[in-house]
Amino acid sequence: MPSAVLSGRERPGRYWKIDLDTLELPTRADGGDVEISAPSARGLIACTLAQAERDHAELLARVLGKTGAQTTKFGALTAENRGLGAFVYIPADVSVDDPILITYRASAACYPYTVVLAERGARATVIERIEGAAGATVCGIVEVVTEAHADVTVATVQNLPEDARVFATRDAKPGEGAHVSWAIADLGAALVVGSADVRIEHEGANVDISALFFPRGTQHVDLITSIDHLAPNASSETVVKSAATGRGQARYLGNIRIVKDAQGSLANLRDDALLLSKTAHIDSIPALEIAANDVKAYHGATVGAIDAELLFYMESRGIAREAAERMIALGFFEPAIARFPTEILREEIREGLRAKIV
Amino acid sequence: MSATGLRITDLHARVEEKEILKGIDLVVEPGKVHALMGPNGSGKSTLAFSLTGHPKYQVTQGTVTLDGEDLLAMPADKRARAGLFLSFQYPAAIPGVKVANFLHAARQAVRPDSLPPAKFRKLLMDKMETLDMDPVFMTRYLNDGFSGGEKKRLEMLQLAVLAPKYAVLDETDSGLDVDALRAVGDAVGALRESDEGKETGFLIITHYPRILQYITADVVHIMIDGRIVKTGGPELANRVEREGYDTIREETGAIA
Repeated sequence: MPSAVLSGRERPGRYWKIDLDTLELPTRADGGDVEISAPSARGLIACTLAQAERDHAELLARVLGKTGAQTTKFGALTAENRGLGAFVYIPADVSVDDPILITYRASAACYPYTVVLAERGARATVIERIEGAAGATVCGIVEVVTEAHADVTVATVQNLPEDARVFATRDAKPGEGAHVSWAIADLGAALVVGSADVRIEHEGANVDISALFFPRGTQHVDLITSIDHLAPNASSETVVKSAATGRGQARYLGNIRIVKDAQGSLANLRDDALLLSKTAHIDSIPALEIAANDVKAYHGATVGAIDAELLFYMESRGIAREAAERMIALGFFEPAIARFPTEILREEIREGLRAKIV
Repeated sequence: MSATGLRITDLHARVEEKEILKGIDLVVEPGKVHALMGPNGSGKSTLAFSLTGHPKYQVTQGTVTLDGEDLLAMPADKRARAGLFLSFQYPAAIPGVKVANFLHAARQAVRPDSLPPAKFRKLLMDKMETLDMDPVFMTRYLNDGFSGGEKKRLEMLQLAVLAPKYAVLDETDSGLDVDALRAVGDAVGALRESDEGKETGFLIITHYPRILQYITADVVHIMIDGRIVKTGGPELANRVEREGYDTIREETGAIA
């Protein structure tokens, strides 16, 4: 499995109090609904998972369980409680310009399962919004399989109430020369446990992962991204921007693995964490494992407070310290925000972040 | 009326444990241009940062008032709102913050609600034209990836947009070609001719006299080793041009 490089989910310690191994989730789904809207395009299917199981079983079978998503602890729970979900199918050579929108509204315990299949040369953007009631538990999967030269972006904005919990397992397999992009914005929830994996089994794939999160109060975020370069001449770029304030905590583990046969790979990982209070904490761990010799791999990680010189510059223009901190912190997220599809969604994310920096 | 002006009296300041300013006395009157010249390491930038309240610079003695207000008692942002502006020698780059948004926030902070957005936009466009700046600047991130010349132009644009009571230009001329120098001169000239800026007093800090070909100074001060050792008219700048700082240093007995 892609995430086998390092679990990263070490035992609770000084900062991290939650033991994910022993954490228990409700054993049955008891709430939540999904709303799906899609532009019209030739042969495009965007329907509930239940309808797909009834009417498009063969298509669904080409993706469902074909990635590693169901093998993780939380992914297995989603699979077990399967019911709520969405299925998107883009036939060969169909380009869908406007995004396909999927909105989950969780009530109590909710196990959403999103499945995306893109055939050869197909192109689409899927925007997933996760909202819900106070105290909700959301444990979901997104699985993406593409054929050669497809181009699929899946963006998720999670804005659950700050006492909710969310567990998200994302796994993609791009075809030859295909482009797959995960964009993840975790704004809400008391506990976020997320993963985004891509397993590159075909030559020349191009993969992006962009993530941003901002725990405040007592929020916890735990994110693992993993890109496995198993085929030659593929490229990947991972950009993660996180900030924490109050007693917010986060762990981020960024795995890049390039196996011996994956010559000509290009991998880039950029991960920056901004601490806005003395009690906030972010652990940021880039992990690169490279067995091939003809590759280019870069990684850079920073963790720190706002640079005093930046603050002084803004203050010297009359901008009060708190306003200056807000502007700098929001600006800090921009390189990740810029990688999300549609200006509406980007503005929604900025608005969500603004609301968190008070 | 004796209180008007940017009045610096017996100012001592240190950086970390080192005393850099050893008693500066200087008064910049409204509408006047003072040049502060001196060799590297004489303390010119320390004066600029001490006036504007940089946290790394500690004032240990002396007073500074801006039109009668005690400047040293204020945090940096209040000093700016009181009417003080510093053009940085090395402006900070702030990724993700667009120039237009930054300028608007700064203008709002310094001159609250003085312009509705449409008029602010018009003001920006006018000032940018004066500075020969491409409007695309507005959508770029603040100083992020800017060339040295672009950064200085943006400092001058901020000067124009904020129209402060007193402006300190810290080595704004360093590293600029003739065109950029002229743009700086034009920006200062345009501000001095505008309604908002006709009373602005300038303290132009420079190592080289050439900027003074583009901005005429009323008074020239020479600073060596943390003290102002000589004050005179524009002819003093010409003398620096001819002789450098050494003869002035010898003549005034300043310790190198």
